[in-house]
Amino acid sequence: MSDTPTSTSEKVLSARPPLWRDIVIIKWVTQVFLLVVVLTALWFLTSQAGDNLKARSISADFNFIERPVDIQLSEGIDTHPDSGGRALWVGMVNTIRISLIGIIFATILGVIVGLARLSNNWLVRRLATIWVETLRNIPLLVQIIFFFSILTVLPRVSLETGPINGWFHISNKGISMPRVFLADGFYQWLVVVLIGAAVSYFVYKKRKRIHDETGADTSPVLWALGVVALFGILGIFIHPIFSWVGSIFGALASLFDSLPILAPQLLLCALSVGLASTWIIRFIRKNRSARGHLSLVDDDWFRIIFTAAVSVAFIVLFVRWTGFSSWILNSGRDLFEVIESKFNVDGAARPFDAMRPDIVQPGKFPNYGSSGLTMSISFAAVFFGVVFYTSAFIGENVRGGILAVPKGQIEAANAVGLKRSHALRHIILPQAFRVILPPTGNQYLNLTKNTSLAIAVGYSDIVQVGTTVFNQTGKTLPVVGIWMLFYLSCSLTISVIVNWFNVRMQLVER
Amino acid sequence: MSDFNVTGAEGTVSIKPPPETPKLPPRLWIKENLFSSPFNIFLTVASTGILLILGRGLLSFIFSHERQWGSTATNLRLLMTQAYPEEQYMRVWVCVGVIFTLTGLSMAVWNAGSRVALRRLGSFLLSTGVVIDILTLLAPFSSSATIIWLCVGTGISLFGGSLVKFSDEDKTMSVLTVTVIALAVAILSLWVVPYGHHSFVFERTPRSLAEAGTVALTTKLPWTIMLLIGIAAYFAGKAIREKVSQNVLRVSVLTIWFLAPPALLYLVLRDPDFDMGHVLNTDIPIFLVFAAVGAGLLFWLTRPTAGELGKVIAAITLLIGFGSFLTPMRMIIRILILLLAIFAISAPTFAGDTQTRRRYSLGWIGVSGVTCWLVTAINTPSTVEVPGSFFIGGVSLTLLIAIFTIVISFPLGILLALGRTSTMPIFRILCTWFIEFVRGIPLITILIFFSIMFPMFLPKEMEIGEVASIVIGYSLFSSAYLAENVRGGLQSVTRGQHEAADAVGMTTPQKTLFIVLPQALRVSIPPLVSHCIGVFKETSLLAIIGLFDILYIARNVIPNQTEFLGSVRENLLFVCLIYWILSYQMSKASQRLERRVGLGER
Amino acid sequence: MNETNNETSTGSNRDLSNAADMIVCENVSKWYGDFQALDEVSATIKEQEVVVVLGPSGSGKSTWIRCINRLEQHQEGRIEVDGIELTNDLRNIEKVRSEVGMVFQQFNLFPHLKVIDNVTLAPIWVRKKPKVEAQEQAIALLERVGIPEQADKYPGQLSGGQQQRVAIARALAMEPRIMLFDEPTSALDPEMIKEVLDVMKELALSGMTMMVVTHEVGFAKEVADRIIFMDEGQIVEIGTPETFFTDPVEERSKLFLSQIL
Repeated sequence: MSDTPTSTSEKVLSARPPLWRDIVIIKWVTQVFLLVVVLTALWFLTSQAGDNLKARSISADFNFIERPVDIQLSEGIDTHPDSGGRALWVGMVNTIRISLIGIIFATILGVIVGLARLSNNWLVRRLATIWVETLRNIPLLVQIIFFFSILTVLPRVSLETGPINGWFHISNKGISMPRVFLADGFYQWLVVVLIGAAVSYFVYKKRKRIHDETGADTSPVLWALGVVALFGILGIFIHPIFSWVGSIFGALASLFDSLPILAPQLLLCALSVGLASTWIIRFIRKNRSARGHLSLVDDDWFRIIFTAAVSVAFIVLFVRWTGFSSWILNSGRDLFEVIESKFNVDGAARPFDAMRPDIVQPGKFPNYGSSGLTMSISFAAVFFGVVFYTSAFIGENVRGGILAVPKGQIEAANAVGLKRSHALRHIILPQAFRVILPPTGNQYLNLTKNTSLAIAVGYSDIVQVGTTVFNQTGKTLPVVGIWMLFYLSCSLTISVIVNWFNVRMQLVER
Repeated sequence: MSDFNVTGAEGTVSIKPPPETPKLPPRLWIKENLFSSPFNIFLTVASTGILLILGRGLLSFIFSHERQWGSTATNLRLLMTQAYPEEQYMRVWVCVGVIFTLTGLSMAVWNAGSRVALRRLGSFLLSTGVVIDILTLLAPFSSSATIIWLCVGTGISLFGGSLVKFSDEDKTMSVLTVTVIALAVAILSLWVVPYGHHSFVFERTPRSLAEAGTVALTTKLPWTIMLLIGIAAYFAGKAIREKVSQNVLRVSVLTIWFLAPPALLYLVLRDPDFDMGHVLNTDIPIFLVFAAVGAGLLFWLTRPTAGELGKVIAAITLLIGFGSFLTPMRMIIRILILLLAIFAISAPTFAGDTQTRRRYSLGWIGVSGVTCWLVTAINTPSTVEVPGSFFIGGVSLTLLIAIFTIVISFPLGILLALGRTSTMPIFRILCTWFIEFVRGIPLITILIFFSIMFPMFLPKEMEIGEVASIVIGYSLFSSAYLAENVRGGLQSVTRGQHEAADAVGMTTPQKTLFIVLPQALRVSIPPLVSHCIGVFKETSLLAIIGLFDILYIARNVIPNQTEFLGSVRENLLFVCLIYWILSYQMSKASQRLERRVGLGER
Repeated sequence: MNETNNETSTGSNRDLSNAADMIVCENVSKWYGDFQALDEVSATIKEQEVVVVLGPSGSGKSTWIRCINRLEQHQEGRIEVDGIELTNDLRNIEKVRSEVGMVFQQFNLFPHLKVIDNVTLAPIWVRKKPKVEAQEQAIALLERVGIPEQADKYPGQLSGGQQQRVAIARALAMEPRIMLFDEPTSALDPEMIKEVLDVMKELALSGMTMMVVTHEVGFAKEVADRIIFMDEGQIVEIGTPETFFTDPVEERSKLFLSQIL
């Protein structure tokens, strides 16, 4: 019985129970069975959908992206998009725009609301409570529509009234204000600023080191910001010297153009093999003891086999589906060509430009011209809706986070003689921020998703544009697919950013 | 900004909010809370200004002569039930009555309702009265209306003040009694005050508009009866509680609550026109065969000694269930075979002595009976004739969809949460992907997809209504969020509990059912309730896809009636009010529940 | 608390040479990643024997005892309980678990169930006993551990010592042939340790096969038939209480004893 380890494991294998009583086998058979059931159900549903669509002679392809459509959008970077893809792109930009602005304002308002909830002033506290309890308990959509219905009864635009002082104008067509926009020279200027950012990084390190060594107050952040600003101002005058940057991207574009389809295929296959084998190797290494003994139970073997199978499936997919690889090549080439064209401008072009709003009368009714920055009432309704609504939730997070800092922390800060501002900055805020951040990140996600309610008031976000597109072309499934991809990437981006901060906060804490 | 966190004078950082109830003498309290520092004085003045401007604006909007409140009053029935026919309206009241009865019963059975000190009640009334007075002075009332409202406000204040002054320190009153009194006062006032007076008469089909008169006139009798029914049910529940064992009573009341939504919808509201011949010839025989065969099989399978043969038979039933999709047969038979397979697979978990086995078999008969009835009722045409897509709308539709979504997504969400915390990698990956995918996309895209595309994914012979497909989509959406809430609870169950259950030899299903889930669900009650509030609020999105919910009616239907052109804002405000009252009450109730369960604040 | 008032009392002095083997461990090894928790542990425990496992914390005592009813899975070697080998066989695991009762350091009572339901749950759903019978047995067991009056309370309402006695009753309700104790008194206040140890002593005298991981030297001296001393995942020394406590062979045992006595 006192055999060597190898023969003992053989003994365990020989004592293998019948298959239907082996827990590992039962576990994996159940899982694979469920997987098969789920896949069969999906296959069944999609094949039914295929049949049904065919019966109605609708096809579910993506060629509407290229085809011209007859869509007029209320606002966006391009109100008369020439193709379905372009229209959806305008919708995406609109969604991103309102989400970003909304996140910024909701954060500011939310912090104010949260602090007001903790104020020593009874009236302020009450006001904040009413704000939170009212907004939280009314559906966002109802709020958006309510704001919209109020905004629609604003006075009409007319040529007689004109913009207020030539700067602002408010009417039922929206709010018009002066606009600062990116002009042709912007991308060259951006290169200068990026160089400035790199320089400022080193300046920051340097000032920080001086602070650490001498203890002098060197304010590294201010210095770094100053350097960036300096380069920004400098860039306005010297940016044309970077017009050659475009040729780099041109070269990249022609490289993508000349590559055979095999290249991305090989790359993707290598990637999937690489990922799978890295995972397997890591897994095995994790299970290998210091003495080099490998202890894998049957369950672990199944995991390894499953991973390998998945990677093989992906390889088959990449090899069979050449369209994906050629899509990568084409879009890579297009991307770099577009970037190249951005640099290919007149040397004297300014990076920025500004214009004041105007009112024009192209047809029967006067409307805002294109020179000002116009916020339509749809935009305003969605904007106020999501900002107010989210501010109530963020306010509650802020309140909870500050309340979560133990009283002892504040007492300890006082005990070591920290100044109030320092106690706030170094003791309370970091700890409160750590509690506030994760739920607030969630609220940012919600805000982004909630901008989809814009469809109710006709703001041209991606859902509204998508609905128009599939109503015209009948391509519902592809459009829904694009929506989902878009929102998933937005969610992913936000969670990556929030997680990055989260990890940093936890490092700060230690 | 610093004033919020840091008090000026002492240099100490005060984070906890000061107590809400004034304990100091009034003069000192005002000084302390409103005018303690220059910045504080500024805040007080500023917020008073904001309050005055907002209050004045809101009130002058509401009481302006341009407002067409008649559009809301006249269309109340439309807002509540859309075009549900007038002559069948009794059915709606029956539903309300059943809900009141069940509420009264549950209150008695669970011994609900904490007690509130009379003094607190008094100070609440006092401040309410003062608020009414202030609002009255702000509002653009005629002088007679101002006097009436001032009298009402002062009266309430005086009553509250006398309660504070003359009641004992420790005298309390049941919250339930307070609620019933408040409801009774509101309902009695229907008999006195002609709320919702309107004088519009028109010829319109369907006759969804009220006749000339008052809203109070038509609803005072039903509401009075409802209140009496609720009180009667409460006392009946108290009486029953004395005689029947606690557990049996609770389980049966819960079962009735669970069965109430489908029963009310399919039996009462929809008034299905059962084809008795078909029911007798096909449906009942199918049910009887399955009930008998299934009960026998399950009684045998739950023998403690059934062992591996039982598992093999259960697996075979499951395979037959899946195989039944390959050959044409009635959907009900497929569903019943699959249900039976689920019961058979879980039989070893519930094996035991004769009594347990009998109960399990009876459970099967009950479940299969309800399933058969439900399938039959769903497939039976309704006798309630309503033009348009769905026979009911307005608030009823909102509640209906919210309740069905919650009921369906509950088991789904629990399964997803179990899958996500499972040790089996494929289950975990599938559930995680599903949850994260659904949580990453907005509800409206799912609703649009399901309302347009879902029927396409079904076999040609299957038809599904728009409302049903939306409920399915909404349930899938809701289940992903619910799963995350339940997962939080599951993770709070300690490892020791799992080990203890393993050590006494429980199987994984037994461990999950008897040990893990009861503890996990108890912990997740507060997030689950707020999830339910969220589901209720987000039913407003149905308006976007064109269902006649309350928001759609208020925004797109009433403002287009020739009598009330452009009366959007009035009706939207009314919708806000309804949503606010319902969700605010629910969130308050959940806070009370949280305190009662004893979880405390986190 | 645990000083021995009776220096000469050593074990129960039963003759176990003819008794059958209850637990057989052969070269049992287990790793947690790089860390080797058990290193070729081999030992045999006979029927009605009371074995106390001693050792510094982190020495693998708990891991070993948890491998015996497969709360943890050993990776090498074999474990046989009452002639049933512990493999991936579902039936064997079920059998072993129904023969082995376990008491945990943290009690692990089910907080949402009354004491009586804690005790009857497993007999009803695992042993498939009728409810009435299970309840009668549960009352009898609660009497045996000295707390019949607490049957209708919830675990949260009991003291630590009472909770641990309920846990013992819960394990006994499955009518096990072996009882495993994983530091049953470590989470208790000093004044409650005795009431639990008394119950365990009574159990040992009634002829139960027991394996006890504990730091209670007094209990070990009084009740144990054998002492197993572990360190760094290995069994260092096996001996009777008299020889182990008075005249340990190994250096590590001496060091350990000098620290705790």
